[in-house]
Amino acid sequence: MTVQVTREDVRIAWLSAIAITINVLESALPSPLPGVKPGLANVITIVALCWFGWAPAAWISLLRVLAGSLLTGTFLSPAFILSLSGALASVVALGLGTLAPGKGLSAIGYSVCAATAHMAGQFWVAYALFIPHAALFRLLPVLMTAALIFGVVSGIIAQALIRRVERA
Amino acid sequence: MTVGDRVVLGLALTLIVWLYARFWGGGAAGDHIQVLVAGRPYQQEDLRRNGRLTIAGVIGPSEIEIRDGRVRFVSSPCRGKQCIHSGWLARDGDFAACLPNGIAVQVVGANARFDAISF
Repeated sequence: MTVQVTREDVRIAWLSAIAITINVLESALPSPLPGVKPGLANVITIVALCWFGWAPAAWISLLRVLAGSLLTGTFLSPAFILSLSGALASVVALGLGTLAPGKGLSAIGYSVCAATAHMAGQFWVAYALFIPHAALFRLLPVLMTAALIFGVVSGIIAQALIRRVERA
Repeated sequence: MTVGDRVVLGLALTLIVWLYARFWGGGAAGDHIQVLVAGRPYQQEDLRRNGRLTIAGVIGPSEIEIRDGRVRFVSSPCRGKQCIHSGWLARDGDFAACLPNGIAVQVVGANARFDAISF
């Protein structure tokens, strides 16, 4: 019995590959604060969301976290758990974002939703599992500011990408 | 940029401003200090009581000074003197420690901001 590969499977695979590559390349960049990354791989998730819908975007996001961690050797490490919790939170937030009434959200709106949810989810797990110290909360405003800034940047990049590339 | 986008951005900004106000706002004024030796509560002192206090630690005596509602380490037998360099502690939650000597000083406000802090 052969598995039928649908066109959507191929799309998800292609986009996941790009997202994973971006993730691995980005992991080479030094980060000013622990947990602050530009999150450029998220651009692919947002583009996939705008083109193909929530389910493919969710797949790409989670596959990127999984495969990225395997490639960088951080599978099942605290970094992986934080990444995964952030990705799950952002996937849920994007799902809620698709329910926005009227014209809904554009790439920037989705990106900000995803970025802030990602950071919030990550922070909560970091607090619950790794550093249950009250002083950690003093870091939260800074982390959220970074999340917002990078979320907007990712959103702008995603929007530019969508405008320039014809839908596959 | 849709209406929804602006709403999301507005909410995110509001959240961030609120986070700064909540977690970066200065704590209440200190009311008394808690001295801990080897991690255990040792002595409590009212911050209104000006004076110096000598506490015996693992490697020797450390001296702290209370003046005008503030407290600081004055002398300590450690090498790095980070405790002294912490300077004056005044607000609820402020904290300084001489780790080699096993002595910590914590400022506590009238209404404790945190129920418990473990470290």
